Amino acid sequence: MHTFRQRIRQSIENKTLQIALDNNAERRLKGRALAFESIPDWRERRQRAHTIRDNVIEQLDEYLAQFIAKNEENGVIVHRAKDAAEAIQIILQILKDLPQAHKENQKEISAHQRSSASPIIIAKSKSMVSEEIELNHALEKENIRVIETDLGEYIVQLRHERPSHIITPAAHLRKEQVGELFHEKLGIPYTTDIPTLTAAARKVLREVFLTADIGFSGVNFGVAETGTTCIITNEGNGRMVTTIPPVHIALMGMERLVPNLNDLSLMLSLLPRSATGQKLTAYAQLLNKPLANQTRHLILLDNGRTRLRNSPLKESLYCIRCGACLNACPVFRELSGHAYIGSDQSIAPYPGPIGSVISPGLLGENYVQLAQASSLCGACKDVCPVDIDLPKLLTRVRAGSSTQPAVGGGKGLSSSTKIGLQLYARLATHPKLYAASQKFAALGTYLLSPRSKWIRLPAFTGWGYSKDFPRFAGKTFREDFIKKNIVESERFTPKIRPAAESATAEEIELKGNKIEQFTKELTALSGHVTITKNPTQKIIEFLNTRRISKIHLEPNTLNESLLQEASIEFTHTSDDQILVGVTNAICGLADTGSILIADGEGRPLHASLLPEIHIAILKSSDILSSLPNAMGLVKDKSAAVFITGPSRTADIEMTLTIGVHGPKEIHVFVDDSNSG
Amino acid sequence: MTQVQLFITCLADSFFPKTGQAVVEILLRLGIDVDFAREQTCCGQPQFNAGLRKDARAIAEHTIKVFEKTTGDIVTPSGSCAHMFRHNYAELFEGDPTWILRAKALAARTYEFTEYLVDKLGVTDVGAHWDGLLTYHPSCHTLRGINVDKQPRALLANVRGATLVELPHAEECCGFGGIMSVEHPELSAEWLKRKISNLEMTQSPTLVVTDAGCLMHIAGGLNRQKKKQRVIHIAEVLSNI
Repeated sequence: MHTFRQRIRQSIENKTLQIALDNNAERRLKGRALAFESIPDWRERRQRAHTIRDNVIEQLDEYLAQFIAKNEENGVIVHRAKDAAEAIQIILQILKDLPQAHKENQKEISAHQRSSASPIIIAKSKSMVSEEIELNHALEKENIRVIETDLGEYIVQLRHERPSHIITPAAHLRKEQVGELFHEKLGIPYTTDIPTLTAAARKVLREVFLTADIGFSGVNFGVAETGTTCIITNEGNGRMVTTIPPVHIALMGMERLVPNLNDLSLMLSLLPRSATGQKLTAYAQLLNKPLANQTRHLILLDNGRTRLRNSPLKESLYCIRCGACLNACPVFRELSGHAYIGSDQSIAPYPGPIGSVISPGLLGENYVQLAQASSLCGACKDVCPVDIDLPKLLTRVRAGSSTQPAVGGGKGLSSSTKIGLQLYARLATHPKLYAASQKFAALGTYLLSPRSKWIRLPAFTGWGYSKDFPRFAGKTFREDFIKKNIVESERFTPKIRPAAESATAEEIELKGNKIEQFTKELTALSGHVTITKNPTQKIIEFLNTRRISKIHLEPNTLNESLLQEASIEFTHTSDDQILVGVTNAICGLADTGSILIADGEGRPLHASLLPEIHIAILKSSDILSSLPNAMGLVKDKSAAVFITGPSRTADIEMTLTIGVHGPKEIHVFVDDSNSG
Repeated sequence: MTQVQLFITCLADSFFPKTGQAVVEILLRLGIDVDFAREQTCCGQPQFNAGLRKDARAIAEHTIKVFEKTTGDIVTPSGSCAHMFRHNYAELFEGDPTWILRAKALAARTYEFTEYLVDKLGVTDVGAHWDGLLTYHPSCHTLRGINVDKQPRALLANVRGATLVELPHAEECCGFGGIMSVEHPELSAEWLKRKISNLEMTQSPTLVVTDAGCLMHIAGGLNRQKKKQRVIHIAEVLSNI
């Protein structure tokens, strides 16, 4: 049994943890700052994002109704859960109703047969809401196998831990610990080579994706106007769980809405930059309708959100869960998510500054003590992409606003401090008494330390733990102040200079042409770009160099007779054994190096996901400037994904590793045949 | 003759009266008359931050009443207290139609000391001299609370004889955080350690701050660690001629 302060001490004394946390903070903050340089108007963007979220929370009922209606129209089964227990019941009911047919359907791409007696397998993508309702624990009790597929989540699941960071679940671990874990649990030789560790997880988890009965994910944003759910990931697991298994369950906090696709593109310009320092994540999926032979359930969770919305902590619902406030927070930097505990010792579902507001906000009094662990330094507000006034909200939690109007207050405060501050307030409202007490304190502190201006207080006083306390001045300012007259001879005539103007936001404009910019961006992300007037020929040459003779091809993408002449075998159905998938790209985005792939004939979503190499053909005239220009193309697609570079992770020691669950290589052939 | 009201802040009043004297001296040199309302005590931030809003409100009401009896801009050598007047009073009196107006009137008159010199008076050179290295720690509430950063830096840049060196990770909190340094001394100690080691990296013997809170905290830490560096309020640098 540990108190919060004991946990803090443990974290600080854990040297391995401290190194991991310093790495996390430094790299993430640097990455974030760099990513924001490419949008000089970010201050204006975050104000817009704030206004959008404010408006959504204000009119949440209307937006929810619109979102739900649109989803039902799109063939998604929508459920609403008022609390954790209800959400778990809904999920268990979906599992119970799982038709046997689903299990059969799946074998199309599954290499392994399972007996019908084997437990249900759920392949789960990262979801903080599922942590909030402690879903894994509830499912495991029912003998259901839930496998976390985000690398970081997988690691913490194998260690029977909870994520220590909302974006980087294994932020508290170093590679040696992961090496030992994989050696013990996966039976691979001990190694600290991060690509080897990643490859081991890829192999195990690929099996999970292919055999899972259910894919489970969270949701980053819901779009009210179109019913779109947006899920962003880097590793590709989010795409796997929403694309491969016959049933997809998405669990979503009911506040995570934006009115329309334009607003979504604004959020997507802020969220990855804030979270991981990326202009866009490797995958930004937009799901409208279920895929062929797929059932999709969407569960909208309240779990205290309605109460929060009607409380002074309402603004915390604007949060888009980027984790930037954790990275910037000096408290988190000492603690990691595991030390944020309630008075019952349970780990708070959300750590960091936002967690110290929403954990008590959603789950009550148990977590109010967390809000006292802050110097209100404001670093969190400074990095928040939706400009949530977190220091203000922390003081509101302290005032007791999360559970009741501010009566009494001082939540989580030690009683000695509370009494001291209340006593001081009495003095501060009685100036004469106040001045007298200053004299008294001056005498007292002089007697305590007659020889030094500093008093060495014992550690238990708190202050004395690491610093000395100053003696009260023998003569206070007020005693000494005599109104002086200005002596002309002493006057200094200052040079008057106007205060420097703050830098005005520069216009963002694309330098060079769009093809060049696209190429530069994608190449920087380890993607390959070839500009050609004859893509089929170039792709055949590429396949020949790699000695690849079979591809998964989206129909109407390449000149198929040329392929046949070159003895390249192609199929329009997905096959786990094929190394190369070739798809058309609906458009490209110059400022991020992204391509848009949508669901359609020949399963391009599979072709761009399962093979190790993804080849896309992009018409040069289809390269657009940036995300907002492309949103209109997504509306009528059942599902689409913006792909920005190969699958990637930084879940082990923040080290970038390419090729996790999705393709390790991405080659874009820009078809320039229509231009002069 | 322009006259301003000095809000000395409780920490400077009780522990660092020299800071207040330096502020008065500089303002007088610039031809600004300084008045001091003797009934002023504290802005109520310790109570506000702790969540003791009833107590904070009592102090805030007292402070508002004291300054309502005076005229002119209010100048305070603390970004933190300026932040309290400007933002937290509005929070404290939200929903109270009379008091919110009185609080806003107070906030509209209030300037942090360097902000007053640079933004209100347009002065970035007060004719100060200082021999040797100086490094600047931007106090959290000065930097992020009221967005005052270029003002103290501009004033320091014009101090004759001084060489300014950048403090690594200057924007990080020193770990004071008011009562947090008492309630969570372990956290506070770690940040203080980091602040002091960053200070040592600059080789500067002097750290300049805009807030008595940071001053008391960092100086207390330096004294405990028996370090030679000193922490000084910017007013005491600028008053040095």
